[in-house]
Amino acid sequence: MFKQVLGICSTLAVTNLVLNTAVMCVALIFTLSLSSCTVSILRKFTPRSIRMMVETLIIAFYVIIVDVVLKAYWPEMSSNLGPYVGLIITNCIVMGRCEAYGNSNPPGKAFWDGFFNALGYTFILLIIATFREILGMGTFLGLSVPYFGGPHWDKWIIMVMPPGAFFMLAIVIWIFRSIQTAGEDKAK
Amino acid sequence: MIRKKSWFPIVYMFCLTAFFSTLVIGFTQATGERVAANEKLAFEKAVLAALPGLYEENLSRLELHKRFTESVEEPDEFSGGAYVLRQNGQTVAYALPISGQGFWAPIKAVIGIKADKKTITGIAIYQQNETPGLGAEIARTAFTEQFRDKVIAINGEPINIKRPGAVLGDSDVHAVTGATQTSTRLENIINMGLKEWLSKMSERENLK
Repeated sequence: MFKQVLGICSTLAVTNLVLNTAVMCVALIFTLSLSSCTVSILRKFTPRSIRMMVETLIIAFYVIIVDVVLKAYWPEMSSNLGPYVGLIITNCIVMGRCEAYGNSNPPGKAFWDGFFNALGYTFILLIIATFREILGMGTFLGLSVPYFGGPHWDKWIIMVMPPGAFFMLAIVIWIFRSIQTAGEDKAK
Repeated sequence: MIRKKSWFPIVYMFCLTAFFSTLVIGFTQATGERVAANEKLAFEKAVLAALPGLYEENLSRLELHKRFTESVEEPDEFSGGAYVLRQNGQTVAYALPISGQGFWAPIKAVIGIKADKKTITGIAIYQQNETPGLGAEIARTAFTEQFRDKVIAINGEPINIKRPGAVLGDSDVHAVTGATQTSTRLENIINMGLKEWLSKMSERENLK
């Protein structure tokens, strides 16, 4: 089975509200699939010595597009996410996939590789965000959750703060690794 | 082959950068007007929300803008930098833009003050980047509603943001739970803005 722990930096910042996370992930899916595809189209012409520069340029291009679209058509969300949309440029998962796959495969395949990698990332981030929002704020997508939203639940403020993301991420990795090793043991 | 030439990477990078930059610049130009309008509208909405009886929840963008231009007057030399709401020639309230450093990023807000310069009519925060779910709660009505009809204190700080659960006086509001930094900074921004404005206004009075 294949797994990667890349681009976790953004988990800290935006996963305390499910809606913010979802928008961030859509932005990432767009950026990752298209930049991987573009890198792949240009792979025959790009000199190896400057390929990283070219990749960064392409990624930055798509991220700026996302940023501008959000600013123009969804200003509230744009101000919620603040600088983190721009920081997708430095998200290691985007460059990682461009380097590992886009660089050496045809455009169509590269597009889908990027798309599904970003989708996997989205899946994990949404799990983390769901737990953080419910435990930390008693809401889900801004709607009050029974019990957790009530007076009997003492909200775990730490979950909304950046350290909460570290705890959640560690737990998620722990659970997924355990499932995976259990599977491998059976296969043997 | 051309790819083997030593100058090829430079020319290649140059052309690629030029190409993508052109696209981005074109795109930004195309949406620039809309982005600027959004920012202006956010401010106008805040002014309306801070003043009494002007803001309604489900106004469209156009209606908001229309209401702003119709009922609110730009700052003049008698208002100390505040926007003015007049009805039948009488000043009803002032809307004072205030800003300062929050916990993460600058906070910009508008505070509404009655013509008596003593009572707050409301506050609206139109730009902030505080922690979602904690500091960012300052922009919600649950927090901002507290300021309505508070009295600007003459002695000490004009407005006090006290810890949640504390007993409140005429000039006090409750802070946001778990967001001490944001609350303290907002308190500072409000008080600095109010003090400066009040001193400007009293200078005006003395000149008369």
